[in-house]
Amino acid sequence: MPKASSARPIWTGSISFGLVTIPIKLYTAVREHRIAFRSLHDQDQVPLKQKMVCPADGKEVHPEHIVKGYEVEKDHFVIIQKSDLEAIAPKASKAIEIQDFVDLDQIDPMYFDRPYYVAPKPEGAKPYKLLMEAMVKTKKVGIASIVMHNKQYLAALRPLDDALCLETMHFDDEVIPSNSLPDLHQKTKVDDRELKIAQQLIESLTTEFKPEKYKDEYRERVMELIERKSKGQKIVNRPERESTTPRKANDLIAALEASLAKTKTAITASRTPRRRKSA
Amino acid sequence: MSKVARRTTKKTTAKLAARPSVSTRASKVPISNPTKPLFPSGFTKGEMIDYYERMAPILLPHLRGRALTLKRYPNGSDKLFFFEKNCPSHRPDWVETVRVVGRSADSTNDHCNITTRDGLRWVANLAAIELHVPLGKADKPDVAGAVAFDLDPGPGVSLIDCARLGIRMRDMLANIGLQCFAKTSGGKGFHLYVPLNGSTTFAQTKAFANMVAVTLAKDDPQRITASMSKADRPKRIFIDWSQNDRHKTTVCVYSIRARQTPSVSSPLTWDELEEAIAGKDEASIRFDAGAMLKRVERVGDLFKPVLTLKQKLPA
Repeated sequence: MPKASSARPIWTGSISFGLVTIPIKLYTAVREHRIAFRSLHDQDQVPLKQKMVCPADGKEVHPEHIVKGYEVEKDHFVIIQKSDLEAIAPKASKAIEIQDFVDLDQIDPMYFDRPYYVAPKPEGAKPYKLLMEAMVKTKKVGIASIVMHNKQYLAALRPLDDALCLETMHFDDEVIPSNSLPDLHQKTKVDDRELKIAQQLIESLTTEFKPEKYKDEYRERVMELIERKSKGQKIVNRPERESTTPRKANDLIAALEASLAKTKTAITASRTPRRRKSA
Repeated sequence: MSKVARRTTKKTTAKLAARPSVSTRASKVPISNPTKPLFPSGFTKGEMIDYYERMAPILLPHLRGRALTLKRYPNGSDKLFFFEKNCPSHRPDWVETVRVVGRSADSTNDHCNITTRDGLRWVANLAAIELHVPLGKADKPDVAGAVAFDLDPGPGVSLIDCARLGIRMRDMLANIGLQCFAKTSGGKGFHLYVPLNGSTTFAQTKAFANMVAVTLAKDDPQRITASMSKADRPKRIFIDWSQNDRHKTTVCVYSIRARQTPSVSSPLTWDELEEAIAGKDEASIRFDAGAMLKRVERVGDLFKPVLTLKQKLPA
């Protein structure tokens, strides 16, 4: 399991439940390992930047001239100013208000979005521990609402090992019900014998869940590739390109280097010509 | 109009009395606000129109058949400008246009194709201080008439440093059998042109220019860069090879630049460049509109070979 980030908390506030208030901080609990690539110009490897361009005249539009519009119907927009949104933004409440307690297995994993660790501030250590132990004993998780960065979230608060964990959740209307899928409700009969064999197969493969067993192998291969490339090792994956144009280009580069070296001996005799090894 | 602007106009009218060359040629092209100063130095719109008209015999061959992009400064060289690719719709019917397909196939522009002295007069009257042209002609959009290198000095690098690099590039190119020609950009740097005038495509010239720039940058990375990255610019000369593209334009030779004074993108002989380097004399290779008019009477069009000399890139 990855360690809780020792870095800065992403949010501070308090959990309120009944008459108790527990000052806490939130820390990131999951860090995704995404490999970021940048877009470069193939000719000179300059990192490219994006511009907002108006398709009407092809000209760049600068940020001060960009407003947000909501498309109410095709080609009809309602302009929403930042101030409009600020006026109705959720109050920057600093409280995680526990509204209900429920059984964890009643919440389908589909509802979970992002986990955070909840750590007590020093003065909150005692009620923090109290809440956690009560939740362990009753085997319940708290359903709470929280406002972070001007956005309202639904969240589940649950004990995890010796800490509390806050998991942001999707609102019900964000979850798409499976009955909207096609081909799911065709009338088919399941053969008893086949079902038994399938059950046996599942049982023979059943083991304990060990998350460390599963690796992002593609990511590892990409990182390996990057490592090799950065050490200057050639990656041979494009035999068809190897043979044709580059050879010609290499010849020309060699000719250019030679011609450049000649100019130096002619003009700046003081400087010793540095010639690169063959390209 | 603001008070300030009116006052400026009055002042220049007074100044103008002492100046001889304001366009007075009889022409079907009417001129507006000839006394309006277009440059902080006081150089007026009328004087600019006069320059372009008198330069016509030498300048027109460099514009003819090319999709001209106008860089217009309606309120002066130090004020807001805009690039105009499409020839203005209010153009007189005798102004020719050429159609150019943009980067996406469905976008086309009808550029001005200036072929006459009156055409130049009309364009100048639009306060198009700078004339920008592609390296190819409109009827053969993929063919590059020349390879161009833009030597752009970063902070802390002088025009003389650029000239030195120009000399090295001249010798380097000569060693692979190519002759090249230099002009000032009229701004900070230099343009180096390798005439081709054959069927060489932009794909070829761009790859070639890139190789030349990269070879030079590898050889002297402390002083030369082939990369557009701003971080690499200080104390270095950026050899911009990327203008070798059918969609790119470079300021035309003899075009005035929109600066404090009407400086001109001026062709130079290699002797002049070497003398300027020897004497560290930047001023000797900078010409403004007035100086250029006198100069062409003496030396003619030093950039003519760029339009006529046939050369081929090494395979």
